[in-house]
Amino acid sequence: MVLLDIKNLTLEIDISGGWVKALDKINMVIHEGQIHALVGESGSGKSLIVKAIVGALPVRWRITADRMTWKGQNLLTMSVKARRKIIRKDISVIFQNPINSLDPLLTLGQQLKEMLPTDKLTKTWFWQRNAEKQGLAIKLLHKVGIKNHQICLNSYPHQISNDVVQKFMIAMALASEPKLIIADDPTRGMEVIAKTQILKLLSRVNQVRNMSILFVSHDLLAISNMASYMTVLYCGQTVESGELQQLRKRAFHPYTQALLDSAPSFRKDLPPKSPLTSLDGTIPTLYHLPIGCRLGPRCPRARRECVAIPQIRRVHTHFYSCHFPLHWKAK
Amino acid sequence: MDLIEVEDLTFQNTIKSMWSKKKITFDLGPVSFNFKAGETLAIVGNNGSGKSLLAKLLVGLETPKSGKIFMNGVELNKSNINVRCLDIRMIFQNTNESLNPGLTLGTILEEPLRLNTKLNAQERISLIEHTLRQVGLMTEHRFFYRHMLSDGQRQRIALARALILNPKVIVADEPFAALDPSVRSQAVNLLMKLQRDLGLGFIFISQNLGIVRHISDKVIIMKDGKVIESGKTDVIFNWPKDEYTKKLVDSHQALVNRQNN
Repeated sequence: MVLLDIKNLTLEIDISGGWVKALDKINMVIHEGQIHALVGESGSGKSLIVKAIVGALPVRWRITADRMTWKGQNLLTMSVKARRKIIRKDISVIFQNPINSLDPLLTLGQQLKEMLPTDKLTKTWFWQRNAEKQGLAIKLLHKVGIKNHQICLNSYPHQISNDVVQKFMIAMALASEPKLIIADDPTRGMEVIAKTQILKLLSRVNQVRNMSILFVSHDLLAISNMASYMTVLYCGQTVESGELQQLRKRAFHPYTQALLDSAPSFRKDLPPKSPLTSLDGTIPTLYHLPIGCRLGPRCPRARRECVAIPQIRRVHTHFYSCHFPLHWKAK
Repeated sequence: MDLIEVEDLTFQNTIKSMWSKKKITFDLGPVSFNFKAGETLAIVGNNGSGKSLLAKLLVGLETPKSGKIFMNGVELNKSNINVRCLDIRMIFQNTNESLNPGLTLGTILEEPLRLNTKLNAQERISLIEHTLRQVGLMTEHRFFYRHMLSDGQRQRIALARALILNPKVIVADEPFAALDPSVRSQAVNLLMKLQRDLGLGFIFISQNLGIVRHISDKVIIMKDGKVIESGKTDVIFNWPKDEYTKKLVDSHQALVNRQNN
């Protein structure tokens, strides 16, 4: 069953007089129980997509889409109230940088209890309610693997180490028992052991409760570990999307290949201290976006035709947009 | 001969109060290691295991409680701090925040020259331009400010600042953590190239075991201020002895292996 269906999502931002397309025709479909990875470097608009889904963007930015539906209901045309209700109930987001996205003035316990949905509580009197909330909060913390719940609930965000706060954010996201969890770079800057714990936790949630996860990150190692489907973004354009196995075996877009090559742990044949393959240059800023295919200036295979935006092409479940894809002759 | 030799380096962080006894808040256990010119040493460990502190001790930002650091057989202490400033340079953890937003990059790069060398203005400028080209930037970047550069370029500036005095050792605190994958492999390539060309010794701290395995010759694994295991990269990754190291390597291997199947 299709949960979230996005077709040709375009986001325009007004910067110093002109409208710039920060997101350009994004397509994405998330099925029930699927782990969908969204890969891209910083500045490629990953977080903008997340914010566009939950509707946390400023009103003055222009969002247009052919289709943006949640279980068949159109998210763009519905009232703010109805949309908020859906997002409260069915979608929860683990935001980037947990310490900055929590309220520094409230204890973690207060914030977690606020997240608990009221229709789950059965008791009526306020003292019973408080006790019930406390019980539920402790249960949630145990679920995500925080053992000393009392210390955690009573402290403020800055008092606790980074990976525990990250787990706490996951607990908060689980509180409303959503259908879709959006994890925005949950493993950034973590050591390996904490990272594997969090990945295991997320995949367990996916398996046990059949929750879908949209996993946003640029850590390919983490992604290839859990996700089944991957969408690669570059500068606000979807470059390639398809089954992860297929993408890894045979990537069509030069950028996807460059991303895969950039992680030394992916390749066992690589002798130590040999130079890694990389693309020249860096991601362009929004002020200086190239026309046509935005990878153009950095692409090793770029030719004159690349100034036109490439059409999306399709091989089975594998979509890509490139004029001169890799493995061209092999086909 | 060893370029850097460290013997039983210890450090204690204490809180002094007037009435009660001194409270020890952090204890960096005896650390000893050595490495040769042209080699790379990686320091791996959890958050709060004292990796950054060890880097700071090597550069001389903190004074150790006991222990000795030798460089080419000469002991480094307070009397020859000038030599240490010239020969051991540091790249700080957060490149964005470690560059002054109010100064042009030329001024930032000029500062170590003005403090440590006797070059005149003309020579300083030509050295700055030479270093900028060396790290793959243009000479015009001298007039730029921090906010005008991208992440990868800032990383290059931080590297240029470390290289400009022609050091023998560079100590880098998580140099690749904040970089994107494609920019990161550029930075890794640049560092390896400079190391080959100039024969630098390179000490770096990292969480990314893939990169550690790729570029380092030796590894030190730390936990709670103690060195748990140290030795050749190859040996540690293939035959880890300690429980903690095993856990670390296994969790990395689990990530790598599962996606190969």
